[in-house]
Amino acid sequence: MITILVPLLFAVIEFGDVFQRWVAQESATVQVARYAAELGGDAPEVRALLDDSLRLSGIDPARSSLDVSPARVGWRQPLTVTVRTDATVAIPFLFATTIPLRTTAIVRGELNR
Amino acid sequence: MSAITTIAVLPVVTVVLMTTLELGSLRVVAGRAGSAADLAALVAVNDQDDAELARSGRLVPAPDAADVARAVFKQNLDPIAGLLAASPDAIAAAARVSVDIAPPTVRISATVPVRTSFFGALFFHPITDVAVAANGGAR
Repeated sequence: MITILVPLLFAVIEFGDVFQRWVAQESATVQVARYAAELGGDAPEVRALLDDSLRLSGIDPARSSLDVSPARVGWRQPLTVTVRTDATVAIPFLFATTIPLRTTAIVRGELNR
Repeated sequence: MSAITTIAVLPVVTVVLMTTLELGSLRVVAGRAGSAADLAALVAVNDQDDAELARSGRLVPAPDAADVARAVFKQNLDPIAGLLAASPDAIAAAARVSVDIAPPTVRISATVPVRTSFFGALFFHPITDVAVAANGGAR
């Protein structure tokens, strides 16, 4: 019984944690996209904001990647920001794996160069 | 006795687990759709009428602000298209967008149908509608 109920209980906890991380990462991505739009693309400040946002959500920023495409935009040009992290799921008696979490936000450049 | 209890409890716990996963997934998609509406309203209201701004100094949304809001809403729904029961194009086209001149404001509200296949199997509710709304103002 233990070998069935414990994995199920851990599955609820572990996947709940993955969903929480996903929502937190989603929110961080939107904030970073907004900031990148104001700065006109990729910048060290943008990456610092992402690191801070992820850290505050309990996600290790060292294990995340940020893609700002294109790296430099002008007024009204579309800007795509993608954040990737890996969430670890470990369920006793069953498996341990990592789930890639990818979040994307699309905005427009707000800097008139 | 233990085996009988396990067999009796297992379906209940499995349903609880699947319901938890489905609700979690629904919550994530609802959050994503809300963010998409937020970004759409913000980007659209920032799309100012340059000529009016240069002429009178007033902030007035551009004539195409509603189209911009729909386009950005659609683009931000694209990454979760596989979880939706309608295409992002159709959802964005059906979204209600209103643009006010004074104060310069863009409002967007939409109903986002989300696939909930487990709820469908269990409660005959394969599609769950999520209502999202966002307002953006230029100041």
